[in-house]
Amino acid sequence: MSEPETDLTKTYDAVIIGSGAAGGMAAHVLSSHGLQVLLLEAGKKLPIEQELRSMEWPYDNAHRGYLPPESHSLTFNEYTIRNPPYGAGLEKAQHLRSYVGSSDYVKNIVVDERENPYTGTNYAWVRARCLGGKTNIWGRLALRLSDYDFKAKSRDGFGEDWPISYSDIAPYYDKVDLYLGIMGVKENLPHLPDSIFQRPQKLNCAEVTLKQSLQKMGRVLTQYRAGVTSEGLKHNKYRSRCYGRGACERKGGCDIHAAFDSPTGLIYPAMDTANLSLRTNAVVREVTIDPQTGKASGVRFIDSQTMKDYTVRAKVVVVAASTLESARLLLLSKSRWHPNGLANSSGHVGHNFCEHLMGPGVTGRAKDLIGKPSTLDDGRPGGFYLARFRNLSEKQPKFIRGYGFEGGSGCSMFPRGTDTHGFGASFKEEVRKNQGAYISMGAFGEVLARYENFVDLDPVVKDKWGIPALRFRYKFGDNERRMAEDMKETAQEMFEAAGFEIVHVRNRVLTEGWSIHELGTARMGNDPKTSVLNQFQQSHDVKNLFVVDGSAFVNASCQNPTWTIMALCWRSCDFLADELRKGNL
Amino acid sequence: MASNDPIDLRQDRREWLKTSAAALGASLLPLPAVTGKQPQAATPATHPAASAGHNKPTGGFFAPAEHALVEELSETIIPADSHSGGAKRAKVADYIDQFLRGSYDDDQKALWREGLRLVDLMSRHYHRKSFVDSSPDERIAVLQVLSDNDHMTDLPEVRFFIELKRLTVRGYYTSKIGIHDELEYKGNRILEEYVGCDDQGTS
Repeated sequence: MSEPETDLTKTYDAVIIGSGAAGGMAAHVLSSHGLQVLLLEAGKKLPIEQELRSMEWPYDNAHRGYLPPESHSLTFNEYTIRNPPYGAGLEKAQHLRSYVGSSDYVKNIVVDERENPYTGTNYAWVRARCLGGKTNIWGRLALRLSDYDFKAKSRDGFGEDWPISYSDIAPYYDKVDLYLGIMGVKENLPHLPDSIFQRPQKLNCAEVTLKQSLQKMGRVLTQYRAGVTSEGLKHNKYRSRCYGRGACERKGGCDIHAAFDSPTGLIYPAMDTANLSLRTNAVVREVTIDPQTGKASGVRFIDSQTMKDYTVRAKVVVVAASTLESARLLLLSKSRWHPNGLANSSGHVGHNFCEHLMGPGVTGRAKDLIGKPSTLDDGRPGGFYLARFRNLSEKQPKFIRGYGFEGGSGCSMFPRGTDTHGFGASFKEEVRKNQGAYISMGAFGEVLARYENFVDLDPVVKDKWGIPALRFRYKFGDNERRMAEDMKETAQEMFEAAGFEIVHVRNRVLTEGWSIHELGTARMGNDPKTSVLNQFQQSHDVKNLFVVDGSAFVNASCQNPTWTIMALCWRSCDFLADELRKGNL
Repeated sequence: MASNDPIDLRQDRREWLKTSAAALGASLLPLPAVTGKQPQAATPATHPAASAGHNKPTGGFFAPAEHALVEELSETIIPADSHSGGAKRAKVADYIDQFLRGSYDDDQKALWREGLRLVDLMSRHYHRKSFVDSSPDERIAVLQVLSDNDHMTDLPEVRFFIELKRLTVRGYYTSKIGIHDELEYKGNRILEEYVGCDDQGTS
């Protein structure tokens, strides 16, 4: 893979904004169709293996793996009692990071909050400006959505159905599975469709205990479906197979790229086709409009280092800047043709903003594992996933939609249980003896997509590059609060039924944004009056504009979005290439 | 501390804050009193306390006497036992020292200075000697007061205790002794196949 100088004088077939899961996938698909593609990333190209250092021992790190003490990462308390922009009062910290930035391995991947302010309601907005974006550090849980999600309105009357069915996207899920690799076990669940799995990891003993107990309740616990290749990928020379090295639990990523990340999984192979050019440090501030036709003509961007302004022309503009940044860019791109912001004749850009609720969960101890010799439990990409069980065949009286749990058990490099009360010899012994007995899980629930939850542009506050900041008007509602109550109760019940000693039941709902699964700000639909994009993520208003990231989601489902973002994007880019060839764009 | 009843820290502290005034000028830790908001200039006291630590760091956040106190405090939180070494051998005080030296957070630094001073006052109140000169049981007794009252987070000595435990735990379980000797951690190496449970529960 070589990185040629980016030519800004030619007209590209497509310019893609953003290099995360969506932008990387768009680059892969469009370049394989033979299109001449320019990929723009706002952040740097980091020496990522040097950042991640997945096997570094904490004692070989100057800060024991934590953020250097001259910098600060925001805490739950600060997100709760302060208001955005969160930099106020923390000026003395050399850098200010989101809560994810509390690790030395992530500190250069996530943005400096002070350079990238936002305003409005409390929100833990995690942004990674660098090549590959958040895929460098994602949680790796790779789940499919189903018609329980795509046709949710038909089931319970709330919101809108997606303009696609599972059968439309299933072939593209298959393509993503085969191209990127996924580990897991088939369960034949209609609400959590199986992927084409590579060899799965195993469960450990406490997890098996829970699985067997849940079977009696008709609930399904399955191996963590990880977007990680366990068998290797013959077509990709940039990625290794997983060797279970055991640093998967810490905040960071995989420096041998067994876990999917956009650069090694999608972008570098695409560059090998010679159809893809890449420019990093390119902060896009506007999609430019042809004054004759009202169509997109390219983009205007600032070089983040030199602060110089550039424009580049393209036949098609593909926005993949992440759910919230994509909405921001559309709203920024006001013109005579599009006075309300680009692709926004419906007024829905920035609205129907949704995500996953996090916080409620439970920690327990498997009594038969207390005092046993330590075991190797963190040499795998994740523990387990407990599939949704609410509002499938029955109907909950207090809330609609559902939630699943992510969890795990066993020994880890930094022990669980250091929050044990007390100190001294008994504290030390208790931490040691219990270290392999802990099992815990936390819920991820669907936050309803409501028009009233939205982002727009702040009239005053601007970022480091003089670009208006995003303003949040977003709060969890009653359905979420009632669902959170149920999460806590069922978590405790399930652990009690499995015979675990309950250590801690969490009922605290984490700050909006905590799941880093923000979705829905430019939703798809068949009606241009109530949606921004059609079923191919093409703007209803501007035929040569596509928005291929999570902003296109019609609802959040309760399953993690990354695999769906990539499957949808692949389908849309196949359509895009076809339409371009036919001269329809 | 003859009684086994839990001590009410809020009542007792009036007493030991009073004795502190009487004892001032004697052999107290040579620490400046600090109020929460006051930025703490880097002026480590040079008063040669009798029990100055032998692991004296150069240019650290802690003065030698403070460093010696932090060593004993951290060892009281995580002591050596028959299984493995404790916080002192894991050089947790050096880690905390380095952490605070780099910290931008003046409130946090001030809390450590104030906390060390208050803990030593408590020791003198309850046992008539400094924390460092106390026996292990006497040290435990002082920290037990703070642990038993750790909901009283308006009190600086309680906030200090929580912070002391947090950084001791972090420093210890990220050290070689903590990871390898104490926890006998098995991971962070190439693993061909994750062993897991024999029974995968698919029955």
